[in-house]
Amino acid sequence: MDRAIRQRLEERFGEVLAGPVRQRHDETEIRIAPGDVPDVLRALHDEPTFDFRLLADLAGVDTGDSMQVVYHLWSATSPDWLRVIAVGLDRDSPRVPTIVPLWPGAEWLEREAYDMFGIVFEGNRDLRRIFMPPDYQSFPLRKDFYLPDDAARSPGAGVRPMEATHAPRNAPAGSIRRGGT
Amino acid sequence: MTTTDHRRASADDPRVLLDEQAGIFEPVPPYPPRTEREAEFYSLGDGELLINIGPHHPATHGVMRVVMKLNGEQIVDLDPVLGYLHRGVEKLCENADLHQTIAYLDPLEYVSSLFCEWPAVMAYEKLLDVEVPRRAEYIRVLTGELNRVSSHLLAMGFHALDLGGLTPILYSFIERDEIVEMLASITGQRMLFNYFRIGGVNGDLNHEFMSRLGDWMSRATEQVEANVGLLNENEIFVRRNRGIGVMDPETAIAMCWTGPNLRASGIPFDIRRAHPYSVYPELDFDIPTRQEGDSLARYLLRIDEVKQSLRIIDQCLHQMPDGPVMAKLPRLLRPRPGRAFAAVEGPRGEYAIYAVSDGTDQPFRFRIHDPSFLHLQSFGRLVPGKLIADWMTVNASLDPIMGGVDK
Repeated sequence: MDRAIRQRLEERFGEVLAGPVRQRHDETEIRIAPGDVPDVLRALHDEPTFDFRLLADLAGVDTGDSMQVVYHLWSATSPDWLRVIAVGLDRDSPRVPTIVPLWPGAEWLEREAYDMFGIVFEGNRDLRRIFMPPDYQSFPLRKDFYLPDDAARSPGAGVRPMEATHAPRNAPAGSIRRGGT
Repeated sequence: MTTTDHRRASADDPRVLLDEQAGIFEPVPPYPPRTEREAEFYSLGDGELLINIGPHHPATHGVMRVVMKLNGEQIVDLDPVLGYLHRGVEKLCENADLHQTIAYLDPLEYVSSLFCEWPAVMAYEKLLDVEVPRRAEYIRVLTGELNRVSSHLLAMGFHALDLGGLTPILYSFIERDEIVEMLASITGQRMLFNYFRIGGVNGDLNHEFMSRLGDWMSRATEQVEANVGLLNENEIFVRRNRGIGVMDPETAIAMCWTGPNLRASGIPFDIRRAHPYSVYPELDFDIPTRQEGDSLARYLLRIDEVKQSLRIIDQCLHQMPDGPVMAKLPRLLRPRPGRAFAAVEGPRGEYAIYAVSDGTDQPFRFRIHDPSFLHLQSFGRLVPGKLIADWMTVNASLDPIMGGVDK
């Protein structure tokens, strides 16, 4: 755990942070609103005290209640991985500004998050499906998308045919797996 | 036979094979462009032409399709089309328990399976706060570095094969075969090892492994030198690689490159040193870099890395402590709710796992990060202005594995 980075983050982004800086093992985690993503990541990337030049990963997360976009960054100024979580994206229409101007390599990572979760990265000029076929309608990594043999959690508690892999509209509460705050 | 009959006929009905056209891929998609970039790519300028390569082309290192925009023989732009090997491994892992996910990860990068398992077990160990026995860490490093050598040797052989040289692949398979047999003697598998466990490894080193390794180590350096001599002194090979697909360091970082490809552009970023894990801080090795950033540099850098890996294997054998190879853990693991990120330096770059636990025995979110995916993305920057034959050179030198790209 790197105490120094925690202090620097709190000093620099105090108002912007949604919640405390969390640290565990070799990871430091901050949470921000989706609208602040470009500014915060630009500051982390450009300012010499942070210098997070390397984007280690970009992932979408569906918590069952809302969506998140998770960025992992690496810098020589800190021994920790920095995890920036854009929290509270609306599950019905998840939108977050793109970071392609900072890391052109994030273009495909954002395409993948769009393909799997339906998260729209505003400003990404190539936001089309990347793994699934172009006429595919669903977003498979969302929590209301069941695998056909995922009997344990499906409302009918039985094997669901391939055509009905989604939770029905009137699915009872608790049929969608929630967690991972 | 009409189209509707096709839909009803079973896949093993021979009439389907007779009547259906063999897969012909039109380069232009049958739907209107979905994005700005797609519209730009599929509109042709004066004298330009679209051709389709793949999805089954020997030079694509798997099942990848590339649509190329050509002007004469020069590549203007290209658009990789992915997803032909997509199996939804992330979704499968989110519906499997922690131990089962490790087996799902092996076939991602099928020539370096141990590096797919490694970040997953590291992430779980962080979630569970498990201390791994030191002997297990040394065995992980030892087997991992062996796997890295075999993967790099294969990459070198296939690099030559893509350029039309048939012999080097035969020589690199001699070494690779010895290594996979060695690993098979402790893991039970030649390719998809499924060897790492949460809290350790599946079995201790045994006599067959140690005697094979001892034999091989005594001649490994010489053999590798002899093999690369076939290529390094081959004028055709060198001239087809030099100055092709040049990547400058700034762009390489911006394009999220990692691994040998990044180091061949002059940036000494290696997760084993940049964010040390396992017992790498106790081992002595260098991080080779090259400044040129072209295909030849990427090829030569892999040879340098093989030599460093042999150094690490040697040290592992000397420093290997005694003790258990598994931590004491219950069979059913339920980590407390939390998040963990773990990354390792694989033969192609950074393999990383982001695992979110919700307190059950299954990961709530299981994100797999694969380096080849990001290297492949840079094609559009590396080959414009070059020939199709150069695309094959660049593809071979980036060394993508489509199993990992498509997940």
